[in-house]
Amino acid sequence: MSLKSKANRLVKLFGIAMVAGLTMAGCTTAATESTSTGTETTEQKVVSKDDIVFVASVINTTNPYFAANIAGAQALAKKLGVPIEIVDSEGSSQVQNSKIQAILAKGKTVVMFVNTVSSADAPIIVEATKAAGGFVTIWWNKPDDYEPKDVGDNFVAFQKHPGVSSGECTADRLAESIGGKGKIIALPGVQDSTTSQTRVAGLEYALSTRWPDVELVDVRPSDWDPELAYKNSQDLITKYGADIKGVWTADDGMQIGAMKAFEDAGLLNQVKFVSDGLYPPTIEDMRSGRGNNAIVGETFHRGWAASAIGLYTAYLAAIGEIKPSELPDEKRHSLFEIACVGPENFEEFASLDNDIDGWIDQLLINGPWDTAPFKLIGAGPEVLPGR
Amino acid sequence: MANNNSGTITPSANTAAISNRINWRRLAEPSALIATLFALIIIFSILNPRFASVENLRNLMDQAALPLIIGVGATLVILLGSIDLSIEGIMGSAGLAFVLLSANSRSESDFGLLALLAALLTGIIFGLLNGLIVTKVKVPSFVVTLGMWFVGLGFATVLYGTETIPVLTNPEVSSWSSTLTFGAPNSFWAAVFVVILGVITLILTKTGRSIMAIGNNEVIARNSGIRVDRIKITVFALAGLLSAVAGIIAAIKLGSGSPSVGLGSLFITIPAVVIGGTALAGGKGGVLRTALGVLLLTVLNNGLILAGVSPSFQSGLAGAILIAAIVFAAWSQRDRLRIAK
Amino acid sequence: MSNSEKNKTIALSVKDIQISFGDLMAVKGVTFDLYENEVIGLIGENGAGKSTMLKILSGIYKPDKGTIELGGKTLKLKSPEDANAAGIGVVHQEQSLFTNLSVAENMDISVGKTGSSSLMGFYNWAKVNASARQTLAKMGSKLDPRTLVGDLPFVDRQMVEIARAIRVGEGANTKPVVILDEPTSLLEPHETAVLEREISKIRELGSVVFVSHRLDEVIRVCDRILVMRDGELVAIRSKSEVDQNELFRLMVGREAKSEKREYRRQNQGEAPVVELKSLTKKGKFKNVNLALAAGEITAIVGANGSGREELCKAIYGALPADSGKLLIHGVEAKNWSVPKAIKFGFGLVPSERKVEGMVGGLDASSNLSLIFGKESTVGPFIDTKKQKAVADTWFEKLDVRPKNPTLELERFSGGNQQKVVMAKWLKSEELELLILDHPLRGLDPGAAATVNSLIRQAVQNNTAVILLADTLEEALEMGDQIVVMRDGEVSSVFDLHKEQPTSLDLLEKMV
Repeated sequence: MSLKSKANRLVKLFGIAMVAGLTMAGCTTAATESTSTGTETTEQKVVSKDDIVFVASVINTTNPYFAANIAGAQALAKKLGVPIEIVDSEGSSQVQNSKIQAILAKGKTVVMFVNTVSSADAPIIVEATKAAGGFVTIWWNKPDDYEPKDVGDNFVAFQKHPGVSSGECTADRLAESIGGKGKIIALPGVQDSTTSQTRVAGLEYALSTRWPDVELVDVRPSDWDPELAYKNSQDLITKYGADIKGVWTADDGMQIGAMKAFEDAGLLNQVKFVSDGLYPPTIEDMRSGRGNNAIVGETFHRGWAASAIGLYTAYLAAIGEIKPSELPDEKRHSLFEIACVGPENFEEFASLDNDIDGWIDQLLINGPWDTAPFKLIGAGPEVLPGR
Repeated sequence: MANNNSGTITPSANTAAISNRINWRRLAEPSALIATLFALIIIFSILNPRFASVENLRNLMDQAALPLIIGVGATLVILLGSIDLSIEGIMGSAGLAFVLLSANSRSESDFGLLALLAALLTGIIFGLLNGLIVTKVKVPSFVVTLGMWFVGLGFATVLYGTETIPVLTNPEVSSWSSTLTFGAPNSFWAAVFVVILGVITLILTKTGRSIMAIGNNEVIARNSGIRVDRIKITVFALAGLLSAVAGIIAAIKLGSGSPSVGLGSLFITIPAVVIGGTALAGGKGGVLRTALGVLLLTVLNNGLILAGVSPSFQSGLAGAILIAAIVFAAWSQRDRLRIAK
Repeated sequence: MSNSEKNKTIALSVKDIQISFGDLMAVKGVTFDLYENEVIGLIGENGAGKSTMLKILSGIYKPDKGTIELGGKTLKLKSPEDANAAGIGVVHQEQSLFTNLSVAENMDISVGKTGSSSLMGFYNWAKVNASARQTLAKMGSKLDPRTLVGDLPFVDRQMVEIARAIRVGEGANTKPVVILDEPTSLLEPHETAVLEREISKIRELGSVVFVSHRLDEVIRVCDRILVMRDGELVAIRSKSEVDQNELFRLMVGREAKSEKREYRRQNQGEAPVVELKSLTKKGKFKNVNLALAAGEITAIVGANGSGREELCKAIYGALPADSGKLLIHGVEAKNWSVPKAIKFGFGLVPSERKVEGMVGGLDASSNLSLIFGKESTVGPFIDTKKQKAVADTWFEKLDVRPKNPTLELERFSGGNQQKVVMAKWLKSEELELLILDHPLRGLDPGAAATVNSLIRQAVQNNTAVILLADTLEEALEMGDQIVVMRDGEVSSVFDLHKEQPTSLDLLEKMV
């Protein structure tokens, strides 16, 4: 046992040396900022690093996005040789908070990525982490007026992909595919979800500014639920019949339901679909050209990238590579690029799923803010166009 | 006591009159619901002529199918005076079991009809567990089935794992529910079949009448020699089976498996049962009443979308119309709460 | 009767039945025979073991020892279902019909497999209805078997219960053995008459075990009477060789105290506590003139629908009258309501004790302090010590058993519950009027005697009492005046200090 653990420690040490070396070698802003202190704190890093535990908290484990969150966090932890704990919130803020608090109470330095169940959870988690001396990056949901730079170094960053660009991207591709003219319908997620709202705002903005002849005839929130998307599509098919030229959904799950409804109605071949996610079933459908190449546009972002970027940012703060209070605004409240893909280029993004480890290597080289295809593109908060 | 005088006192000679009057009143509630249903259909047809189209009729039939199937099981359970909250969990488990054992994108194995049987069996087992715990361990059904809801979801989550969505690859399977037979989707025929079975069970079988008796008064039922435990277990198993049927059809509809395939079903079904006039306390109501409740809810939701009501107002408006319908339907009943001494 | 017993066939033979619950031996070796076409009475105080005996016969309890033979065959009764299958039908004390099912279904549901009208679990509705109609016809009833029981009045439901018990025997292809467990305890006098006629019909068809608290009734209805005391069968008497006093002595183990009534006006010349002048409630009662004197019991008798219950409600403020006056100590009461009535010192002991009179899940001492709770409160808070002291005093005074006021009230026996419910009112010094709606319902003679003496005690304290009695005899025994009501009107008032009407006289005015 002792031999083995010694060997483990050696591997870890080696890994850290590698990381440190790679970080210094990289020419990213992050690296340059921290190189001045990098060498001096190497010893401290080793000491403090043994004391670090990664935590990745997700809303549930069955949604493919959250499952990818876990995969990315695990891959990064493996690469850095840091132990990791996964928190399954089971869709409940209470479960999430109590599990996180239990881990914080164990006493190790926690470096955490949290995909919060609800916005209101962020302050609770951040304050608890701060009290325990840990470091946390929150993804997707936080209260509007609760900013990392106001809280301190323990709330390292808040990060997300802009929903507006997602909505704009898919809107443009959908409008183009139907020749810039005709009726389309939209199936957003849960009506009061920020993610869904920003995507719809992007859709509406693109249509109103660039596609005057495309008419958005109905918007039916479908609660991220494929079954409900199926049902709503059925109703809208009845209402508008073959007039519907395109269907916009806020995520791939609802797209599955919508496409099935149009397929069952015998209309799939004459309708175009766009959505957000580019998940395997969607990739499959694009590859096979299902429904006369029905899927014409997708956005690509990944749960594994989000968790790896989030954890790595917090990790750099924990080991002293970066000092959050000295970072510019866009690195405390960050918007990351969301790739706009279509039939011509989806394969190149789809292949990324097969090599998460390779992408993590890139992340360690380029730092959290400069690893394609998810580079930092701006500072939050996200502004809804026209409001 | 002067029993020689008793000849002059006859027990209620006007019984026949009473029963006639009551029978008429008993029909008043469903009649009012049917009237409401027709009123809605007429209003929605005026607001959007497409509402009354053949396509939309098929839509309505397809959309009503799942709540009808689950509703039959839920009605039987509620008539017992119990409740089954595990519907969504069982649907998730059974639906996913079916997809994973049929030809799907995750694995090559295709067990054909065996997949169907395995999925149905999953539902029966969950239902049996519900029934056994309720009767033998004597835990209230609310608690047991609430727990079983999450056990079902948990089981489905384990089946699901962390791989990608399993998609049904056999088009014959994935198009079954929407395929038309005699002009109506198969899913609807399945529901009709289940409803007919439900009506027959409730009205024509000893088990069915015993369900009514137990719901009316369990203690009396026990003392009358009705095998209360056995009937309860049977009914819960039946409800589990029907949840499984619904889960399978839901998965077929989507063409893919997901633990959350039953999401929201509970909160369509239980209101439909209650709106139909089945009492949550048990002993009063029936399968056809639930069918009426399901149709009312389905027409309402579909009609409001076709009428172009903004989604922000839709749920509020649907709720208000429902309350109005129920008050209207129950108006004739309000003085009937305690008819005899 | 006894000389003809030898010629009779034995229907049911009970031999040396014993059963214990923990240390308590509830039935200690009971042996008796029941002949065909015979009605035997089973009497005993609460706790004498007769309920247990009944439960054994109906298959709810399994005896530790002893045998039950029916038509010469030994029965193994493991459940009510077995009893039904053997042909033993039970009419329980409490209503035991399914109100949501039809008459015919109720009759069919207990029938054993062999005689049932269902095949392979499927109902043959035509047959279910036909056989029910047949059985009802045998009982001389013309009820439509398709009527829902919930729509029937009480008397008809009782008929259905009995018909069901008979149907059970028919289903088992034997002469029915019908067990009637205190069937009269919830009936009005005229309904009891109907029931007695029904019992004589059953006698023609099979045999009956009749359990009752009313000794007069037992003697009238039964051929032989079995008396149980402390789990033992202490006597079997032919009806011709026994009277009420002997039965009481056998049951209780002591002589019946024959309390000769002394009619003595206590408060002559005082204004009555309550006076009604042309009080009318449309459709319920009209033009009621009545005076209730302090220290006197007014028994109101009348058939169902006579309006006496509603009249009591009006006096208690629970039902506002349409016209007429309600005077209290000569002053007209306006905007009369229950809270006002309670403030004036009015009390009500309702007949539906379990529903209206008590909070079953609450302990006895809390139930006691529900009204006039001042003596056990400090400011807005309940002083549990005082509450318990008050409860202890009353438990002692009324001999409530078990002597544990912290027990939930629903766990006491009916008689003891009634004592607690009455004590709730009696503990007030200022009780002006006590309305008693069937206070003896479901009580055994011992408990009934205690409750009656409580009522007399209240009268001694100058309380006016309104009594809605179970039987006319009870009304005659307790009342100072008897008010007879018919169709919402007072048809006659008897002042017992001046005249002594018989129950027949009362009945004449009732119908």
